[in-house]
Amino acid sequence: MVKNMFFSTIHERIRFIFIVSVIILIAIIIKVFYIQVFAYDKLSSLAESLWSRELPIKADRGEIVDRNGEVLATNITTVSLVVVPGQIDDAEAVARDLSDILGTDYQDMLKHVTKSTSIERVHPEGRGLDYDIAEKIDALGYDGVYLLKESKRYYPYGTVLSHVLGYVGIDNQGLSGIELYYDEYLTGADGAIKYFSDGKGNKLELTEVYEAPTSGITLELTIDIDLQLAIENELDNAVSKYNPEQAMILAMDPDTGEILAMASRPTFDSNNYQDYTTEIINRNLPIWMTYEPGSTFKIITLSAALEEQTINLFEDTFTDTGSINVDGSTIHCWKVGGHGTQTMLEVVENSCNPGFVKIGQTLGVETLMSYIDAYGFGDKTGIDLNGESTGILFDIDKMGPVELATTSFGQGISVTPIQQVRAVSAAINGGKLYTPYIVGAFLESETDSLIEKIEPEMTREVISEETSSLVRYALESVVANGSGKNAYIENYRVGGKTGTAQKVENGSYLDGNYILSFMGFLPADDPEFVVYVAIDNPKGVTQYGGVVSAPIARNVMLSAIDILDIEPRSDGMAKEYTWLDKKYSILPNVVGMSREEATKTLKNFKIEYSGDGDTVIYMSPNAGYYVAEGETIMLMLG
Amino acid sequence: MKKKHMDYFLFISVILISIFGIIMIYSASSIWAEFKYQDAFKYVKQQGLFFIIGILAMLFASKIDLEFLRKKANLILGICFILLVLVLIPGIGTVRNGSRSWFGIGGLGVQPSEFAKLGLIIFASKYLARNQKDMGDIKKGALPIFLVIGIFFVLIMLEPDFGTAMVMALTLIALIFASGLKISFFAKLGVLGLVGIVALIIAAPYRMARIVSFLNPWSDPLGSGYQIIQSLYAIGPGGLLGQGFLNSRQKHFYLPEPQTDFIFSIISEEFGFLGVLIVCGFFFFIFYRMLRIALRSNDLFSKYLAFGLASLLFIQAALNLAVVVGLIPVTGVTLPFFSYGGSSLLISMISVGLVLNVSRRT
Repeated sequence: MVKNMFFSTIHERIRFIFIVSVIILIAIIIKVFYIQVFAYDKLSSLAESLWSRELPIKADRGEIVDRNGEVLATNITTVSLVVVPGQIDDAEAVARDLSDILGTDYQDMLKHVTKSTSIERVHPEGRGLDYDIAEKIDALGYDGVYLLKESKRYYPYGTVLSHVLGYVGIDNQGLSGIELYYDEYLTGADGAIKYFSDGKGNKLELTEVYEAPTSGITLELTIDIDLQLAIENELDNAVSKYNPEQAMILAMDPDTGEILAMASRPTFDSNNYQDYTTEIINRNLPIWMTYEPGSTFKIITLSAALEEQTINLFEDTFTDTGSINVDGSTIHCWKVGGHGTQTMLEVVENSCNPGFVKIGQTLGVETLMSYIDAYGFGDKTGIDLNGESTGILFDIDKMGPVELATTSFGQGISVTPIQQVRAVSAAINGGKLYTPYIVGAFLESETDSLIEKIEPEMTREVISEETSSLVRYALESVVANGSGKNAYIENYRVGGKTGTAQKVENGSYLDGNYILSFMGFLPADDPEFVVYVAIDNPKGVTQYGGVVSAPIARNVMLSAIDILDIEPRSDGMAKEYTWLDKKYSILPNVVGMSREEATKTLKNFKIEYSGDGDTVIYMSPNAGYYVAEGETIMLMLG
Repeated sequence: MKKKHMDYFLFISVILISIFGIIMIYSASSIWAEFKYQDAFKYVKQQGLFFIIGILAMLFASKIDLEFLRKKANLILGICFILLVLVLIPGIGTVRNGSRSWFGIGGLGVQPSEFAKLGLIIFASKYLARNQKDMGDIKKGALPIFLVIGIFFVLIMLEPDFGTAMVMALTLIALIFASGLKISFFAKLGVLGLVGIVALIIAAPYRMARIVSFLNPWSDPLGSGYQIIQSLYAIGPGGLLGQGFLNSRQKHFYLPEPQTDFIFSIISEEFGFLGVLIVCGFFFFIFYRMLRIALRSNDLFSKYLAFGLASLLFIQAALNLAVVVGLIPVTGVTLPFFSYGGSSLLISMISVGLVLNVSRRT
C-alpha cells in the first residue's frame, strides 16, 4: 500500500483538528453558560424592560377624617384617557373620533395618538372624564385606546378647615396644609397593569400582570368637625358684623395639646384653590400671624409672679393713678384716671397696665424672660403643619426697664396665636407645656384599624399645680367680675382674659387699628377646652376685646359644652352684676315641697306646672343652677 | 472493496437533528410568517419539502459511484465557476439581504455558492489525493490549489457573501492542513492574515468601530450592535431550562428573521442551556462520526472527501454558534440543519450522504 505511508500524518492532523474543534465547541458552551447563568439577572432585567409595558393604576390617596371619623378629605373616581400609539392602526380615525367625543381639536389629538412614546396620557383634556363620555370612548372599541380610573381629591366641607387640610395638585400631590405635611403618608403606592409587548408594540396575550395599588394611610385629625363648623359659623358672623381685615379662632384641649378647631378669615375652598390668591391660601392665621398679644399676655406675667411668689394675689395692693413712670417714660392705663387702689386680683380683673408693670418689676428682666422662654415664646410650637412663624421677643441683653414694663402687659413683642394658646393651656392645666398637634392617629385605609396613635407630648413643666390653680382662679374672676364678663356662661365655670393690641406698621402704632382678642377656657377648675379669638381691625364697634371677641368666645364655648359634653358646675363664682345685667340667683331646691310652698320659694321666677298632684316631684332646671330672674321654671307635680 | 452498511448512527442523528430543526423553524418563524404571509406554516412547509427532497438526495448521494464523482470533479468545479460568474450579473442573479447570490426559480431560490463549497471540496480532495507526494513542496503542491480557492473566494466576496466565503476558505485550509503541509506554512498564513486585518483597519478606521461594537454591542444598540443584543436578550432569559417550547419572546419582532441566522438564539431561549447542550451534542456526535469514517477510509480521495465535508458542516455550525453567542462579529453564516433555507439544507444533507457513501466502502 503506497498510500498508507501518508495515512499516519493525515490521521494525526485530523485528530489535531478534532481536538481544536472540541475546544471551540466547549468555548461556545462556556459562553452560553456564562450568558444564561452569570449574566442571567442582568440580561433578564434588560430584556424585561424591553418587553414590558406598564399601564399605571394610581393608588387612592389616604382620607382625612376628624376625631370622630367624619370624612374631611376623600377621593372621587374619575376616568382618564390613555393611548398606546404603537397599538393604534388608524391614527387618523382614532384621533377624529376621540376629538369629536371630547369636543377638542383634531390636530392636538392626532399629536397625542401619533406621539412616538410607549404610553401617552391625553393631558389635560382627557383627564377627569365624565362617565357618559368614558362610555362613548369605550364603545369605540379601538385597540390602543385605554380608559384608566383615576381618583380626584374631594373636600366635602369646601371652605371649612381648608387652611388645615390644604389642597392637592392635578397629580394628587399635596401642596399645602396636612396634604403637604403628610404627603408621604397619604400618597400610597401606585399599582400597574403590566404586560409584555412584541417588537411592534402590540400586547402579547399570554402575559398580563395586575399589581394592585396600595392606598395611602388615613389620617385621623384631632379636629372635631362639629366644633369646627361652630367656629366657622362664628367667624362668618363676625365677618358680616364687623368686616375685619382678618379673623381667626383656635381651640385646643389644654390637657393634651390636641387642636380641636382652627379657622381663619379670609379662607378658601380646597376644591377650587385656583380661584384664590396664594396669600389667602398660605396664611393659616392661627400659626402664621404674628402680632402684639396685648393683655392676653398678662396671663404669662401673672403666672410667673405667682410661681415666684413675688406677689400675693389677695393681700398685695397697687394704687393705679392712671399712669406709671418707668425710667422717664410714662405708661398709661387704658382707663383714664386709673383704677385706684386694687388688690393684685383686682389688677388682673381690671387688666390694669400700670399694675402689671409693677408685677413685672417684681420679677425683673431675667426671671420674666426665663418664663417667657419656658412657655415657648420665640420658638415654633412644633405643630404638624407648614408655615408656622416664630414671633419676635426683645433681646434679653438689650432689655431696659421700659422693655420689661411693656413686655409685662404684652406690648413690644410679637407672638402667634398658637404660641399663646399653648402657653395659656400650660398656665391653667397644672403647668404642663404640650406640643400642639393636629393629626391624632394613623389608620389603615381599608379597615380603619389603628396603625399608630399619636400620644400627647409634654415639653416641660413651667409652673406648679398650686400656681396654676391660682391663675385659674384669677382668670375665672376676670370673667365673673372683670373685663371678661361678656364670656360668662351660667352654671359653668369660665376663665378668660381679654386682649386689645394696637397694630404696628413700620415701627409705629396705627391709630384706631386694633387686634381684639379673647382667651377663654372652661371649666375653670379643671379646664377641658381653651379657645382663642382674634379679630383684626373690626369696623363700627368699640375697639375693646371684651366687647368684640369675648361674646364670640362665649358662643364657641357654648357649642363646646354641647359637643364635648362638658358637665355643668354649681360651685362657680357668681357674676358681679352691673345695672346692664339681669340678676341671677341660685335656684333653690323645691322638690318634695307642696305646690304652695314651691310657688312661694320661687317667687322671682315664672313657674309652669305639669302633672296633677300636689307635691313637686321634678324640677327643670335642677336646683343649684344660676338662673336669671324672671326665667321659667318647669315643675312636675305628682 | 468490501460492501458494508452505511453508518446508521450518522444517518439517524442527521434525520433527528433535521426534524428538530424543522420544529424550531416553526416555532421561530410562525409569528413572522403569520405577519408577512398570513400563514404561520409558510416557512415550515417549504423547509419540510426540502427536507423530504434532502432525504432522497442524501440517499442518492450515499449510493452514487464516488469514482465517477472523482473523475468528474473538474467538470463539477467548472460548472460551479460558471454559475458563480453568472450570478454576479444583474438580471440573472437576484439580490437578497444585500448580496447578489441567488438564482430565483419561482418562489424558491438557489445559491450557487452553496454548491460551489461542495464542488471545491470534491475538487480539492481529488487534487490532494493525486498530488499527495508533492504536498511537501509549497510551490508545486500548495500554490495551485490555493490559487483555485482564491478565485472562488474572490467570486463569492464579490456577491458579497462574506460568511460563505469564510466557511469555504476555512474548510479548504483545514483540508490542506490535513494533507500534511508544513505547519510553518500555516503559521506564515496566519501572520499574513493578521497583517492583512491590521492593514484593513489602518486603511479604514470604521472597521475598528465594528470590532469595538462587537466587543460591546451596547455602544451602538440600534446599529451594528442590534442583532447581537437581541440575541443575548433571547439567550440570557432562557436560563438553564428555557422559557418552554413556543414561548420565545424575542421572536415577536425583536430578533429580525429569527428562523435564519439567529435560530440558535430562539433554541436557547425556549430550551435554555439544556437545549444548547443537546444541539452542541448533536453537532459533536455528527462531526465525530464523520471524522471516524474519514479515519477508517482506505481510499485517499474518500478520506479527504469525508474529512472535507465533515469540516464544512462543523466550521459552518461553529461559526454560526460563535456569532450568535457573541464570540465573534456577525458574519452571516447559517446553522446547518436548523436555519431556514432550502439549498443550505439540501447541501448539508448531500454532504452527509456523500460521507455515508464513504462509510459503505471501507
